Amino acid sequence: MPHVLVVEDDPNVRAALLRALRDHGYAASSAADGLTGLHGAVADRPDLVLLDLGLPDLDGLEVLRMIRAVSAVPVVVATARDDEAQIVRALDGGADDYLVKPFGAAQLDARIRAVLRRAAPDAGPAGPITIGDLVVDPPGRGATLGGTALELSAREFDLLCYLAERVGTVVSKRELLTEVWRQPYGGSDKTVDVHLSWLRRKLGETAAHPTYLHTVRGVGVRLDRPR
Amino acid sequence: MNGVRAQVNALVAATMAVVLVAFLVPLGLILRREAEQRAISTATLTAQATAALVVASGPEASGLLSAGRDADGVLTSVFLPDGTVLGAPARRTPSVELAARGRAFAADAGDGIEVLAPVQGQDGVAIVRAHVTEATLHRGVARTWALLGVLGLLLFGLGLLLADRLGRRLVDSVTTLAATAGRLADGDLAARAGLTGPRELRRVGVGLNRLADRIGELLDAERREVADLAHRLRTPATALRLDAESLRDADERARLLSDVDVLGREMDEVIRTARRPVREGARPHADLASVAADRVAFWSVLAEDTGRALDCALPAGPVPVRVAAEDLAAALDALLENVFTHTPDGTPLRVTVTALPDGGGRIVVEDGGAGFAAGAGARGTGLGLDIARRTAAAAGGHARFTRSPLGGAHVALDFSAPA
Repeated sequence: MPHVLVVEDDPNVRAALLRALRDHGYAASSAADGLTGLHGAVADRPDLVLLDLGLPDLDGLEVLRMIRAVSAVPVVVATARDDEAQIVRALDGGADDYLVKPFGAAQLDARIRAVLRRAAPDAGPAGPITIGDLVVDPPGRGATLGGTALELSAREFDLLCYLAERVGTVVSKRELLTEVWRQPYGGSDKTVDVHLSWLRRKLGETAAHPTYLHTVRGVGVRLDRPR
Repeated sequence: MNGVRAQVNALVAATMAVVLVAFLVPLGLILRREAEQRAISTATLTAQATAALVVASGPEASGLLSAGRDADGVLTSVFLPDGTVLGAPARRTPSVELAARGRAFAADAGDGIEVLAPVQGQDGVAIVRAHVTEATLHRGVARTWALLGVLGLLLFGLGLLLADRLGRRLVDSVTTLAATAGRLADGDLAARAGLTGPRELRRVGVGLNRLADRIGELLDAERREVADLAHRLRTPATALRLDAESLRDADERARLLSDVDVLGREMDEVIRTARRPVREGARPHADLASVAADRVAFWSVLAEDTGRALDCALPAGPVPVRVAAEDLAAALDALLENVFTHTPDGTPLRVTVTALPDGGGRIVVEDGGAGFAAGAGARGTGLGLDIARRTAAAAGGHARFTRSPLGGAHVALDFSAPA
């Protein structure tokens, strides 16, 4: 049972998080401020730290930097600010992933599982994913088709990467909005559609004649090996 | 030369001209009068000396009299009682006759001034006439006037030069202030005015710099407030969502989560709206034509994949509008997304951008779908259309929702020109 340390100052959110984590099978403990959280991250040796950036005593990014100085524990940052600069600072500061408030228990669970999976000792380094002539390299943030590099925007790459990691599985547009766009409760299917259309162009296919990207009407989209 | 400098120069030129005319013209006249008086005095002295000579020497004085001008340019004649004229030839004028009655005087001779002095001799009254010509009378006056004129011109030129330097200094200070104000208006809040020039302009510069500091402080405060607003709203919303998800009753959970979703979307929009001033900076502006071209190009692939004819009419030149490019793109995306969401595949759509006559621009997004009336209330009150409406309103414009000639919805957003 993985142990998650929640560093969150708001008592209601903290209580709700502890309850949600326990319901999803985690051992959960909590700290109400940065210094207590830092002490807990070192002394209790949790499997993962869920760190709120808006803490009363220390800036969350400062706590993250201090944790990173003494521990390699995976850290998922929770922030109320969705501006890119703050998120980039958190990821550059050593966070393994981030969640923008408000988030639900399922999304929290999915993020924690993904981070723990990547942090597992036997996980090994993430390598390129090969699907027919398509090669997606998540660590290198690049993709090639038939040996030719694809020119993808950041969002298109995230979308392709997410689908490539679930090759053969139908992924709903809501899931894509939640996981790729980080908009679990907002956004529009058409936003996903237009990015899929661009991705199709770059993969050299059309919706009518798909090779890799297959739309499953009413369900979602699936990245599959060419037949 | 710019306006203020030209006005300063013109003012100084006019003032100097008046002062110089008021000073030099009377001076010139006085000098002319002085020259005349001097010549008349000389002629009078000459006449008196000649009279004394005539008294002392009698007719023998003729040998002592010159037939021409003396060194002072005075022509001296003596009319003897017997009618003989000694010295310079001269007619016996009525003035001479008047002087013969025993009066000494000076009179206008037509070609100058004559001074007449009677001398009582044994044979009667002899008249001494000292004549000063016009040329002698005003000798040196023209040269003096020329010197005064040159002096006046020099003073005038010097005055203009000083005025131009003063004007340039004044104008340079005002130009620097105007440039700083322009940079601030363009959103460069680091711009500060140099404190040079006259005291009043330095005070304006200090005021402008204080204003810039204040704007920067207000924007920083707003940025902090907005960041705090996101934290204050989203943190309890997280607790609310997690609590709603933990409800045992599935119906209640679904209903509450649906409400929380709506709340979350509205909250995002509130935060986004509150961030607008921070996002836009001091002077929001964008080119409606280029943003529209970019967004139409982005959505064109989906139009192609869904069998829609996407027609786009854009003006050749830029259409500057008072809204940040990011917000404008979000509003256009909302409108286009609305068409794709609420009309079936194959429905045509058209995007038209026009420049408004009084500045600013209009973008129209229309489609051949069922329109707002048949499209159910959701289309008319959707968050996307609200975003578009609010963006136009924030940019000093408005949104209109009508029916398109294509048969479906017609949404027109008007934006004001940048400030």
